[in-house]
Amino acid sequence: MSNVDLTVEICGMSGDGTIAAGGFLNAAVAKAGFSVMAFDSYPAEIRGFGRCVTRCRIGDEEMLALSDKTHVLISLDDEQSQSRLSGLAESATVIFDNKPPSMVPEGASLAAHVEAGTNLVGIPFRDLAAQAAGSTRGRNIVALGGFAALFEMPPEYFHEVITKKFQAKGASILEGNLRCFDAGYNYSKEKYADRIADTLSSENGNGNPDRILQSGNIAIGEGAIDAGVRLYFGYPITPATPIMEYLAKALPEKGGKLLQMEDEISSIGAVLGSFYAGTRAMTATSGPGFALMTELITHGVMAEIPAVIINTQRGGPATGLPTKTEQSDLQAAVWGGPGDSARIVLAAANVPECYTYTIKCFQLAEKYQTPVIVLTDFFLNNRVETMAPISISEEEKADWNIYPDKEDQNNFHRYRITESGISPRPKPGMEGYSYTATGLEHSEKGGPDYTPENHMAMNSKRHRKIEGALNDMPVPEEYFVEDNLDLGVISWGSTFGAALEAVQKARSNGIKVGALKIASIYPFHADLIRSFMEKCGNILIPELNYEGQLAGLIGHLYDKDVIKLNQTTGVPIYPVEIYQKINEIMSR
Amino acid sequence: MAEKHFIVIGNGPAGKEAAFTLRERDPESRITVISKGRASSYTPHLLPDLVAGKIQEEDLYGCSLNSYAENDIKLRCCQEVVDLNLLKNEVVLEHKEVLSFDGLIIAVGGTPRIPENLLAYKDLMYTLKTLEDAKIWVKKLQQSESVLIIGGDLTSLVLTKALIHLNKKVSFILNEDAFWPLRYDDDLFKEAAQRLTDKGIKVLYDRNIKKIEQLQDGTNKVQVDDQVLQVGMVGAFFGLVPDIGFLAHSGLRIDRGILVDKHLNVGVENIYAAGDCAQIYHPDIKDYWISIGYENARMLGRTAALNLNCGCREEEVKPESIFEVQGININTTWWTEF
Amino acid sequence: MKSNDENDNSVVYSTEPEDFYYMDINVPCQAACPALTNIPAYIRALYEKQYGQSYEFNRMANILPGILGRICSRPCENKCRHGESELGQPVNICHIKRAAADLQDKVPLPIAEDLPTFGKKVAIIGSGPAGLAAAHDLATIGAHVTIYEAMDQPGGMLRYGIPEFRLPRQIIKAEIDRILKLGINLKTNIRVGTDVAIEALVDRHDAVLLAAGCYQSNTLHIPGEVLPGVYPGLEFMMDVCKDQPPELGSRVLVIGAGFTAFDCARSALRLGSQDVRICLRRTEEDLVVTKDEIFEAKAEGIRIESLLLSRRVIGQGKVEGMEFVRTHPGELQPDGKRRISAIEGSEFILPADTIIMATGQKPVPFDIAARKDDSGIPTADRKTYQTSMPGLYIAGDYLSGPSTVIEAIAMGRWAAEKIAEDIIGRRFRELAVRMEDTQITDRQRAWDFIPRQEMPTVKPIDTRLTGMDGEVETGYDSRMAEEEAKRCYLCNLHYEIDISRCIYCRYCIDVAPRDCIKLVEKVETNEVGAITNLVETKDWEAVNAVVIDNQRCIRCGECMRVCPVDCISVTRVELVEKMAQSETQNG
Repeated sequence: MSNVDLTVEICGMSGDGTIAAGGFLNAAVAKAGFSVMAFDSYPAEIRGFGRCVTRCRIGDEEMLALSDKTHVLISLDDEQSQSRLSGLAESATVIFDNKPPSMVPEGASLAAHVEAGTNLVGIPFRDLAAQAAGSTRGRNIVALGGFAALFEMPPEYFHEVITKKFQAKGASILEGNLRCFDAGYNYSKEKYADRIADTLSSENGNGNPDRILQSGNIAIGEGAIDAGVRLYFGYPITPATPIMEYLAKALPEKGGKLLQMEDEISSIGAVLGSFYAGTRAMTATSGPGFALMTELITHGVMAEIPAVIINTQRGGPATGLPTKTEQSDLQAAVWGGPGDSARIVLAAANVPECYTYTIKCFQLAEKYQTPVIVLTDFFLNNRVETMAPISISEEEKADWNIYPDKEDQNNFHRYRITESGISPRPKPGMEGYSYTATGLEHSEKGGPDYTPENHMAMNSKRHRKIEGALNDMPVPEEYFVEDNLDLGVISWGSTFGAALEAVQKARSNGIKVGALKIASIYPFHADLIRSFMEKCGNILIPELNYEGQLAGLIGHLYDKDVIKLNQTTGVPIYPVEIYQKINEIMSR
Repeated sequence: MAEKHFIVIGNGPAGKEAAFTLRERDPESRITVISKGRASSYTPHLLPDLVAGKIQEEDLYGCSLNSYAENDIKLRCCQEVVDLNLLKNEVVLEHKEVLSFDGLIIAVGGTPRIPENLLAYKDLMYTLKTLEDAKIWVKKLQQSESVLIIGGDLTSLVLTKALIHLNKKVSFILNEDAFWPLRYDDDLFKEAAQRLTDKGIKVLYDRNIKKIEQLQDGTNKVQVDDQVLQVGMVGAFFGLVPDIGFLAHSGLRIDRGILVDKHLNVGVENIYAAGDCAQIYHPDIKDYWISIGYENARMLGRTAALNLNCGCREEEVKPESIFEVQGININTTWWTEF
Repeated sequence: MKSNDENDNSVVYSTEPEDFYYMDINVPCQAACPALTNIPAYIRALYEKQYGQSYEFNRMANILPGILGRICSRPCENKCRHGESELGQPVNICHIKRAAADLQDKVPLPIAEDLPTFGKKVAIIGSGPAGLAAAHDLATIGAHVTIYEAMDQPGGMLRYGIPEFRLPRQIIKAEIDRILKLGINLKTNIRVGTDVAIEALVDRHDAVLLAAGCYQSNTLHIPGEVLPGVYPGLEFMMDVCKDQPPELGSRVLVIGAGFTAFDCARSALRLGSQDVRICLRRTEEDLVVTKDEIFEAKAEGIRIESLLLSRRVIGQGKVEGMEFVRTHPGELQPDGKRRISAIEGSEFILPADTIIMATGQKPVPFDIAARKDDSGIPTADRKTYQTSMPGLYIAGDYLSGPSTVIEAIAMGRWAAEKIAEDIIGRRFRELAVRMEDTQITDRQRAWDFIPRQEMPTVKPIDTRLTGMDGEVETGYDSRMAEEEAKRCYLCNLHYEIDISRCIYCRYCIDVAPRDCIKLVEKVETNEVGAITNLVETKDWEAVNAVVIDNQRCIRCGECMRVCPVDCISVTRVELVEKMAQSETQNG
């Protein structure tokens, strides 16, 4: 087991600098050589007043999921933080501003609500900030200083990240913020000398500061850039917008272009157009935007034009819960749209996969001439985690377009029926390969053809092609697999980390349980999944949706009913919740 | 009508006893205990035993945090009272939260006293009041063979027993101030000095400390009048100053402690003081007195709670128990037990 | 009444009651000073390194800044807003005053030749603080002033009641010399009543001010008080100050709780006594002596014994000890002190070789034909300072009983004003509230957190106990003085929101350091039109104004910096003395 496992939560009102403080904390802790997984939760309104919470789990081993229990709560707003106290671990530390601007009646202070035994640490955030920098604005930085001293975290890591953030804003702002940090640090160190723990001391860091701190959003953006994407078409939508924001800066630097379209329909249309013309392009959206895209996605299926769509899932249906996380677009991604429109769907389970799958899907789209959808979710996109830098070989980003041979010239059948279902696809302007691309059912040459024989043959061709893509798609990953497992946990997307941690914990308590991660959502590796299922006395599929969408897709592969754990709380599932379910199943 | 709210300031032996007594007598009222400490109440009189290595830290704790919840006593840890408003019956906490009360028991403890003329050497002198202090003694004693005790209060005597148990060389500078409220006459001094000397302790009487300095090797050079002593550690034992600075503007009668009548009332209805902070006149010694010792503190806490609860209960502090502290009789034959 | 300054339209002088009321509440230090010293002004001047100006702001009100900067009882500091419980500790106002005196370049002061004359003659009996202050004020308006001093040196209690280690003699001399340079005639070694009759002075002068102080020690009327080894405190102190100290034993008990008791105890220690104790009837908490003084006394080795009452002095032929009983502090009396009662049966003895009774003093009776009180002391009206004998006035401790130096100075000045009014026939000066539009200062919020600069003292302690003359407090250097000056909130700045321009954005409330800016439903005023209460509301519909509560405001200026519509103004408001308006204008 790991030695360090500390979950820090910062809670405030919007305007308190909560999320910014979380950013500094994550970066500094990563620099100190710890593993980090962190996730912010914004107010429900996109802008305005409301609670902001950022949670950061710090460990000396790779982090798989967030923890349900908070060990340190830093309150930048007592009223907002009160509801967070219920999530505290035993003997947690609560850091709060003990010098609010005015006297408050009984119960209005956070101190009134903490359990006895809590390490309640009062630091005058506002006063120290005012003292150090002349204004209370730096109170979030003061709080971080106080936190760092309490856990013996060397201040230089914070100094480094604060400097990086503020140096462009001029010496006085930078120095003011550094002074704020030091003020909190020194105050804590002096006043709470008897409460200092060495949890985050340099001895406890795992000495791997080369790792980078990355969010799912940025990983997707970087993946697109590294895959050679130079065109992005999109329409802003929470939680996909940060990808667009990132590329809006990154693309022009590479000579690329980003165009904000009038809506998602035109976005996917432009992506299809680009690929049609032989150029990689991408769009990213979330549920409501994805729904608008479905007709044109099936157009890509029918006309066999590649496209890459990132669907960052949020709470639905409809406008739903824009700032909450959910895994409820699986069916829409796999089945959404008119007709028998099979397409490739991948799901990333962690930040490194956000990067690698983004790259991978361009090759799949090109080779199999189909829209490819990568499913991520609010939690995965917005969380940050430490990861080893990934270097991508030329081969992994190589052009997988299949161009027609010389002999096809002058007798070119764009949709020739082949055994694999793949028919070569020219770029427009390649001499001698002109053809009609259409959303109408078509003959091998591309002209409209509604004859029964043709439609059946073409449906078969298109589905053979997609089935064949499985050979190039990530296979299910097995964990702790042995014969006669009591239970197998099958999971996908961002829930998988929590599932694996729960399985590890169950195994350490003697339960024979294994795990299977499914990244290829459609097509999926039915044989491999079935063979895993056969080794298990029971199958549990935890998902953040109500209907059990993965279970619905693969449940029939098992000869019993699979057990579902469905949660639509809007927040990530915690390992303990899956662990409890495992125990419940085992005690049946 | 809202239920009554009783506040107890301090969670030492007196405060804890007061809170549980209040609950015992009044199942309905709201009771809040405000404690500077983080942990549950522990038994400070056993600290010298901890220094001596006779007991472990766990042995100090007598009561779990759960017992407060079980008795519906709200325990506010790590919180400090900074002001008392008698006009509104309110206490103000350090974090600016204002709590109103119907009854109040002040049972704060004390901080080891360093006389003003020795303040310059504060960092070189060790005291023993808290668990943290005890841990420092344990650590420092590993490198120190000899200890000079300045002052000579009750704690220092119990500690001296522990030091002798650890085979440390102990010397004493007896200082008149340390024995407040007992006046230190020649007879008392002679007897005390004799008994200490019998134990192999070198005793100097009421000398002026001119200077204390730490040498390269970590030992201390102490200039006493015209004499120089070299010792491993210096302990300062001049009794306790009650932590009642927060009452400075309250209007309560403050001398060395909070002046209380024989019912432990501070002179304001429904406000009582108990334990290390309550100063009470005692006819037998013709002087004011601040009780010391664990059992006394508990008894005072209980008395204060009973009086607050019943208003006028005649529960005086019994002289015999005042003079009996952890098996040591405090009177002119105090030293016989040592 | 409000009037503009003749030369400057941005300055307004007001004598409206509401403005005096405002000053009383909102500039608490100045209001607390008996002499109404313009404290924020002199602190600000010192911060600007205008040391001479800073000294002058003091001297205009309290005459003797160098002296007061050392030994003032500092009523201002108890009222300083910085000392409110959530704001830290009061500004070290007194020590800043001393710094102004210490650091000033000698500024040219008016001398006799600069002043008008109008041929009126005033005699002043006593050259203590009250007499000097009255002499100063009367001389500046052109009266011919003669001071009669019974002792060898001028200064009264300053010279003979305060030991040199607290108040160096050259400071007294320098500041008194400056006053005398106004053309005042000082006659020392003349004891009025003995060497010259008071009636004779009244005959020869247009007015006579009796400011002879309190020079008769109180006795406790307890057995043994006359034993050798018992000294009245004032006589002991005067002997010490005359450099003729009595022989003291090793163990000294000082009975008393005032500055004199502490001066006696600390002097005794310097005269070689080993064990010195100050014995209080009440408790250390009840002492009026400053905390610094108590701390220094204890650091020097003096013990303070509380809650005891002297019963009798013990001894065969000489002092051997004192019998006390324990006291019990009872209920509060109208004077704010607790009733003290003896606990019967609690008698005990403290051994001693010397006992100093520093239990206060009272005026020496004068045998004159004016109305007297029961103990034969002539009395005067507390407002007009007139006695029943025409032309004879009384001021200072002789009138009030033992008080503080600053109170005596103030009374000397107000008496001078009344005397002048009587002999000139009209008022020559009046108080007014001066208001001037100003800019936000360069004060930074961070300055509010500067710790109080403690007065440096001679260390180690032993070195100061070798004689009577080494001043214990060594004074601020310019850096410390500046740091301490930065701490002053400058309460003489009045911040106000112009409601007609306010857009209720509440940015100011967001940056407020405390609850000093309020959403107000109603502003309550008293009968003179001054604001007495702001009725706050949380109901946005009911908000009628965003108001800066100047009683809560700490003048940090943050609100002004963030105001998007620039609707917050600053006015400097000061209580000043100015030449009285002519009769017609006064009409």
